[in-house]
Amino acid sequence: MSVPAIVAEHVSKRFRIYHERNQSIKQTLLRRRRGVYEEFWAVKDVSLEIPPASTFGLIGENGSGKSTLLKCLAKILVPDEGTIRTNGSISALLELGAGFHPELSGRENIFLNGAILGISQKELNRKFDEIVSFSGIERFIDTPVKNYSSGMYVRLGFAVAINVSPDILLVDEVLAVGDAEFQTKCAAKFQELKHSGCTIVVVSHAMGMIEDLCETAAWLENGRVKATGKTSEITQMYMDQVARNTGTPAPEPPPADNGVASPEDAEQALKGAS
Amino acid sequence: MVSSVKVMRLSGLPAARALLINLTLRENRSKYKRSALGWAWSMINPFSTMLIFAFVFGVILKIPPPVGDPSGLQNFGFFIIAGLLPWNFLAAGLTGSSASVIGNAGLIKKVYFSRAVLPAASVLSWLTHLLIELSVLSLALLVAGRIVFLYLPAAIVVIALQFFFVLGIGLALAALNVYFRDVEHLLQILLLLWFYATPIIYPVERVPESHVILGFDVPIRAIYDLNPMVHFIGAYRDIFYDVRVPSGGEYLLMALAAGLAMAAGMAIFRRLEARFAEEL
Repeated sequence: MSVPAIVAEHVSKRFRIYHERNQSIKQTLLRRRRGVYEEFWAVKDVSLEIPPASTFGLIGENGSGKSTLLKCLAKILVPDEGTIRTNGSISALLELGAGFHPELSGRENIFLNGAILGISQKELNRKFDEIVSFSGIERFIDTPVKNYSSGMYVRLGFAVAINVSPDILLVDEVLAVGDAEFQTKCAAKFQELKHSGCTIVVVSHAMGMIEDLCETAAWLENGRVKATGKTSEITQMYMDQVARNTGTPAPEPPPADNGVASPEDAEQALKGAS
Repeated sequence: MVSSVKVMRLSGLPAARALLINLTLRENRSKYKRSALGWAWSMINPFSTMLIFAFVFGVILKIPPPVGDPSGLQNFGFFIIAGLLPWNFLAAGLTGSSASVIGNAGLIKKVYFSRAVLPAASVLSWLTHLLIELSVLSLALLVAGRIVFLYLPAAIVVIALQFFFVLGIGLALAALNVYFRDVEHLLQILLLLWFYATPIIYPVERVPESHVILGFDVPIRAIYDLNPMVHFIGAYRDIFYDVRVPSGGEYLLMALAAGLAMAAGMAIFRRLEARFAEEL
């Protein structure tokens, strides 16, 4: 067996939930601290091994730590404990069009966004037409992106991001964008990447998509891995529990938003405060 | 597909360079977007400031402009602009880079890339302004009969050293600003203080060797010379007013300042960058 694409060993990530936050020097000196906070583990002791050229799904309720784990894999967050080893180039689709500059045209933003995602300029020149035709906004390519509709914006963002051709692609819920036709195009593109040997890690609530795309899956609950294994088995276990909790024999998983303060809510609140 | 992956992996460094170039272009392109005069503002700003200073000091206070040695120039406008342009580069570069990480919070939380590229792109963008402004100044000096272009190699070294000096401080400010938002505001006050502690609107020769303050004989000039910008502005004046090559000692001092700034800036940035995505 070849080298795994991703090995995570006992990865933990801690967040601070601030009750009082001092972001100025004066406040910090007066109160002699940068804030009052509670610590809280969004990801706790997660160990995973993802084989190369495989597709891997991460499922779980809102706030189970899926997105935090994905951000750790993407190197956006640095884990407080444990190690993550990756083999190959990584690209993360967490938000489409991140880094677009509103005043610049679609054309200029393709090159800017491509550079942010790590595509070389030569590569971008070569793929430019492909990116534009995939996004389907040929007519507006020289218009500033601030005049784009939100659909056009994410379509262009996706078209650039999907052309990174990484060894490992991390995807967080971004497939739920665009119209039906665009979604079909996206799904086809993912299959194409998969066949070309790209390792794909997907976070999603859409069980259908996870089952279609992923060979193996992990179920996260309160930051810990509850189960890993074949996707169909894991999603079945997950949906059984959802059905038990909600008291309905739901074959379709609900969008697991139960209003309880969750790690992700806390993370959002924390960011909202800054 | 496979080959492109290989190309990408081998070209990690060029990729960072491409990102730097692209972010710099983004700043440059968006700076004067939707303003009627566009890039002309880059010229109008220092020119109008120079006119104000030249009027106040040359016309109202009647301070005689120093005579350029060996250029023989005696013009308050040229004298001020030679100090003002590198000063503006410092002030704008530090202001821009200190806001650069916070200003790109969305990017930092969603994409992994070398974070140091953000302040670097900001300083690079202002460097392009400096280069354009200095070229225009050189042309003006040519019209006045002084051939500065011969001193291009000397100028390039001075500009490069100042770039690293500004970048080093900018890296530190950008990282600290994430944790303490006061940095930006504090910077503006410090820049005002720094401006008057640097020989921009007066000749450095007017700074006394010592001065009696509260009964103590204070060695003003020795303390004054600790300011690295004194030496940078001195070197720019050597080239763009006196029209001569700065001394080796000045180059050494500038290199020391640039080296220290970069070492401290990179150490601070490296230490703090890991938690940017959470703190923003």
